[in-house]
Amino acid sequence: MTDRLLSLLRALFALAFLPAGWRLPTFALLGVAAGMGLLLVRVSEMPSYLSDDPRACINCHIMRPHYSTWEHSSHRQAATCNDCHVPHDSVIRTYAFKAKDGLRHAAIFTLRGEPQVIRATPASAAVIQENCVRCHERQLAHTSLPGQGRACATCHDHVPHGDARSLSATPDALVPRLAPLLSRPSGDATP
Amino acid sequence: MTTTDHAEQTPRRPRPWVGWAVFALALCATFVLGLLAASVLERRRESAALLPAAPVADLEGDSAKWGESFPRQYESWRRTAEDGPRTKHGGPGHYDHLAADPRLKALFAGYPFEVEYNDERGHMHALEDVRGTARMDPARGGKPQPGTCLTCKSSDVPGLMAEMGVAEFYKATFGEVSAKVSHPIGCADCHDPQTMNLRITRPALREAFASMGKDINTASHQEMRTLVCAQCHAEYYFAKKNPSEEKGTYLTFPWKRGTTADAMETYYTRDVPHTDWTHPVSGAAMVKMQHPDYEAYRSGVHAYRDVSCADCHMPYRSEGGVKFTDHHIQSPLKNINAACGTCHRWSEAEIRARVETIQDTTRELLDRAEDALVAAHNEVGAAAKAGVTAAQLAESRDLLRRAQLRWDYIAAGNGMGFHAPQESARVLASAIDLAQQARVSVAKARK
Repeated sequence: MTDRLLSLLRALFALAFLPAGWRLPTFALLGVAAGMGLLLVRVSEMPSYLSDDPRACINCHIMRPHYSTWEHSSHRQAATCNDCHVPHDSVIRTYAFKAKDGLRHAAIFTLRGEPQVIRATPASAAVIQENCVRCHERQLAHTSLPGQGRACATCHDHVPHGDARSLSATPDALVPRLAPLLSRPSGDATP
Repeated sequence: MTTTDHAEQTPRRPRPWVGWAVFALALCATFVLGLLAASVLERRRESAALLPAAPVADLEGDSAKWGESFPRQYESWRRTAEDGPRTKHGGPGHYDHLAADPRLKALFAGYPFEVEYNDERGHMHALEDVRGTARMDPARGGKPQPGTCLTCKSSDVPGLMAEMGVAEFYKATFGEVSAKVSHPIGCADCHDPQTMNLRITRPALREAFASMGKDINTASHQEMRTLVCAQCHAEYYFAKKNPSEEKGTYLTFPWKRGTTADAMETYYTRDVPHTDWTHPVSGAAMVKMQHPDYEAYRSGVHAYRDVSCADCHMPYRSEGGVKFTDHHIQSPLKNINAACGTCHRWSEAEIRARVETIQDTTRELLDRAEDALVAAHNEVGAAAKAGVTAAQLAESRDLLRRAQLRWDYIAAGNGMGFHAPQESARVLASAIDLAQQARVSVAKARK
C-alpha cells in the first residue's frame, strides 16, 4: 500500500504519466503558471491581507476616503479596520469572513462594479454591531439595548467615517500610497 | 517541434531534476518579466497623467473641443442624449402632457401650450427640440418667436451675443439666430476655458441679481454650482427695452421683489404689468410661468443647507481613483446611490419611497388646483356669455389670473414639488383657494 502510494507520488513528481516528450514543455508551462501566480501575489500585495494593518485596506484606491476619515476620528486610537469590520469571536470565523468579504471586494473592483457610495451589507452590518458591543459593553449596561431593527450606527451614523460619504468624499486626503513595484524604499511612500 | 524525436531518445527512467530545473527557470523568468511589464505599465501611466490640456478658445461653442482635455466630463455630458425609462413623475423623454392631462388644454386655451406641451429631454437635445416644437410653428398652430428663445438652447450663444450685442441678439428673429448656432447646451455655457471655473454667461441672471440689489460676482464656488443652472432654469418674460417697442424681446427675470410665487405675482401686477395672453373662455389676463426651478429650490431644505443643484443632479464620481463631476445631468432618482446616498444613510428603496410620497402629494394638489381652475374658467366664461359685465367680472378674472400663476409656478417646474415640498404645498393651497374664490365671486356677480 505504502509502496504504491510512494510510486504514485514519484510518478507525479516526475510527470511520468505523460509521454516522455511532453514532460519538459509541461514543466516549463507549469513554471510559467506558477511564476504568474507569484507575480499576482506580489503585485496585489496578497500577504498584507493576512495582517491587521489598515494600510492593507487601501491597497486599492476605493477605500481611501474610509481610511482617511477613520484616521481623523477618535476611533483611530482604539480600533483598526479589522476591529470593527471582521468578527472576533473565533479565529476561523474571523478569517472565513475576511476571505469572503475580501474576495467579494476583489471581484467587484475587477469588474469595475463599485457603487459611488458603499454601504455595509446586512452581514457586514451585523458584524459591525457585534463589534460595537464587544468594546462598549460597559456603556451599554446602563441603557436599554438597541431594539428591533436598530443598531448603534442607526443613530451614531457618522462614527467614525463622517457625514458625507462617497468614493469622492475626500479625494485629496493624504493617505499612505503603494510604492512603485520596482523601487520599494523602506518605510512609507509619501503621497 | 522536435518533441517526438526527443521522446524516442529519452531513457525509460524519467529524470525529474531536469524538469524541475526548467520549472524553476520558467517561474523566475515569468516573475521577473511580469514584474518588469507591470512596472512599465505603471510608469506609462505617469506620462499619460502629465499630458498637457489642449487649449480651448474663449467662447468655443463646440463641446467636443473641450472634451479632448476633459474626456470624463465630456463623455458623461454626452449621456444627456439618453432617453431612459421615466421616473414616476418625470425623467427624460418626450412625454406628452396634453395627452396625459386634458385639463391642460383648457387651462392654456388660446396660448401655444395648448398646441404642444411635451416633457423636456436632456441637454444634448435642446437645440433639436426647440427647432422642432409646434409651439413656434404657425403651420401647426404655434406662434413665431424672437431669437430670445434660443438664449438657453446652444453653447454657441455666449459667442454670438458677444458678436451681435445682447439687445440685438434678442431682437433678431428665431430663424436668424437659429442659422448661426449649431451646438446644444454644453461646456461654454458654464465654464471659463482657461481656468475651467464656473462663470455666468447669460446676462439675464446677472441683471436679475442686480435688480435684487445683489452682486453675482461675489458668489462662492458652491453658489456657482447652482447659479450656472439658474441662468436658464428660471421664470422669465420678454420685456420691452423702451416703451415704444411694439413687442418685448428682452429676456428678463421677474425677481425684483424676490423669487417666491407671491413676489412674482406682485411684480407682474404692480412693477411691470404683464400679460402673456387673454384666456378666450374666461377673458382673464394670464401669465405663463416657465420652469421656475431655481426659484422653487430656494424655498427648500436643501437650499437652506447650501446643497447645490450640482450636488444632486451632477454628483461627484470617482473612476479609477479620479474624482470628477458627473456631467450626465439627470433626475437624482436615476442615480440615488451617488446623488442621495452621500448624505442620506437609508436604503435606496426608502429614499425613493420618501421622494415619491412628496411627489404624489404634490400631484394630488396639482389635480385639485386644475379641477378648480377649469371650473372657474368655465363659470366666468358662462357668466360673460349670460351678459354679466366686465366690471362685475373683474374680481373673479383677477383671482383666476393669480390662481393659475401660482398653480403654474409648481406645475411648470421640474421635480414635482420635491425642490421645496412645503412651499409647493403652500403655493398650491393658495392656488386652490384663489380659484375657488373666483368661483364664489362669479356666482355672486351673477345674482
